[in-house]
Amino acid sequence: MRLVPNQPSRSVPFSGRLADALSGANAVAYCLVLPAILLRLGFTLAPAIQTFWLSFTDKSLMASGRFVGLANYAAMLSDKTLIASLGFTIFYTAASVAAETGLGLLIALLLMRQVRAKWISNFIMLLPWVMAPLLAATVWKIMFYEDGGILNQILRDAGIIASPIRWLSDANTARFSVILVTVWKNVSWVALIFMAALAALPKDVYEAAEVDGTNAVQRFRYITVPMLRPTIFLVLMFRGMGEVQTFEQIGGLTRGGPGTATQNLAYYAYQRFFQELRYGYGSAINVLLLLLTALIGGFFAWRMYKASSR
Amino acid sequence: MAAHPLPLVHPQRILLVALLIIVLLFLAFPVYFMLVTSLKTPGEAYRLPATLFPHQPTLQAYPFVIKAWSYWRTLANTVLVAGLASFGATLLGGIAAYGFSRMNFTGKSLLYAAVVGSMAIPAMVTLGPIFLAYKNLRLLDTHLGLILVFMAEGIPVAFLTLFSYFKAIPKELDEAAAIDGCSLVNIFLRIIMPIALPGVAVTFLLLFIAGWNEFLFAFTLTITPSTRLLTVRLFEIPVRADANTIPYDLIAAGGMLILLPLVPILLRVQKQLVEGILAGAVKE
Repeated sequence: MRLVPNQPSRSVPFSGRLADALSGANAVAYCLVLPAILLRLGFTLAPAIQTFWLSFTDKSLMASGRFVGLANYAAMLSDKTLIASLGFTIFYTAASVAAETGLGLLIALLLMRQVRAKWISNFIMLLPWVMAPLLAATVWKIMFYEDGGILNQILRDAGIIASPIRWLSDANTARFSVILVTVWKNVSWVALIFMAALAALPKDVYEAAEVDGTNAVQRFRYITVPMLRPTIFLVLMFRGMGEVQTFEQIGGLTRGGPGTATQNLAYYAYQRFFQELRYGYGSAINVLLLLLTALIGGFFAWRMYKASSR
Repeated sequence: MAAHPLPLVHPQRILLVALLIIVLLFLAFPVYFMLVTSLKTPGEAYRLPATLFPHQPTLQAYPFVIKAWSYWRTLANTVLVAGLASFGATLLGGIAAYGFSRMNFTGKSLLYAAVVGSMAIPAMVTLGPIFLAYKNLRLLDTHLGLILVFMAEGIPVAFLTLFSYFKAIPKELDEAAAIDGCSLVNIFLRIIMPIALPGVAVTFLLLFIAGWNEFLFAFTLTITPSTRLLTVRLFEIPVRADANTIPYDLIAAGGMLILLPLVPILLRVQKQLVEGILAGAVKE
């Protein structure tokens, strides 16, 4: 079989172009870039493709895996816990990312004005960032203890609450608590990114606006936010892709409970795959997780691209 | 941003300082509480209501956790795995970043998109197939297996961070050296690396911290206690033989033992770390 070139201008046969691609400068460049790329793709793209394949089989620890078409996906439609965990994943991701972005921008604006003892605030900011997500969950779990735990104790002493908050044993409160820990863990990174973006904004625009008699709120609304748009989309992209696949906070704090209130896709997929050893069904859930992550990443990457090329 | 600083006692300034203190308290308090809980006696750690200061500070929880976790062995495992993986990822990612910053080749934008796009594949999606493959390849429960996974995890960060550092180094430097008869390897090792060394060191540290904190792969791909890493130990609460209460002091001491080795890094190279975080995320 002979490959017919599509464009008449490129009349070099395919084999010729391949040889061309492998000659001289190209060959040197490939030697530099391919080891890293092949290792990376071997541990991400290849397993992802296998996940797709597994999702069409009934492979488990016992069964070697028969092709079952879309049976796993059909089963997902009637799996009430799965639907609920998809719902919680979306809610959790949206809520934590919104809180991280808002609070991170606030922290960045506050720290921009601070001039003295910057290393202390930087050190405090980096503490949650440097901690493993599971360590963050462990620390908060100690504080969440309900009867006389430190958080309830402080809130009661301050007169804010009369009866103890059931941080992890009430469905709605547990959802809030998991989000709280995630925001605590990741808000520093967001604040650091915003601080760098704020420092890079042109100062003369602010001076001109000040001369024109605008107030700080107007300058924030009409200068800072529009100019920060690419950075905001960058933060939404990275944090969105990060939060949608959260595993440690769920495992460390609630194990999906109470009931299935804080069950999310990643945790649910892990349980199906590694506890029930249903590789096919677990993989089908992972395909859903992959699509969701790629959707979030792709959407905000596109918005970021549009915002920064304007 | 403020063109003229506000006077010291100004209502707006007081409000801002108060807000700042609240935010910093929110960020620091959990770590503070972990520290004081780790210094409490078993009785006080469990006593309710919880106390904000240890009444009789004691270090006795630490030796207990160090023994129960085989801490030094686990620490050595973690340093070995995270260290070698970060070194490998920094090296491979750096070489690739150098190629991308200096050369044009067929399929360049496609390969760039492949590296960046692979960041959208969740770890959970790759975990299952990697586990099954490792079972066949006898890489399960080995440090080599973990090092390979951690390396692959670190490559995009190393690549993007070092790409932004290398792009800032003028190409004329390489060209002048090439005219003087310097080979590509020599240019990379003797001209580019020394200039980019701060960036390379920070990249290594960022990856080391990420490897130190990794849990999902470390938990799933190891079985025996002697291969396990520090974060995985957090899942195994040490228990005192004679007690049936939750040993908060031991849990907190374990947390401190995972956090403490990283604190000197935060204090010594704080500014550089922040620069590294930004170089990896904010491209162009």
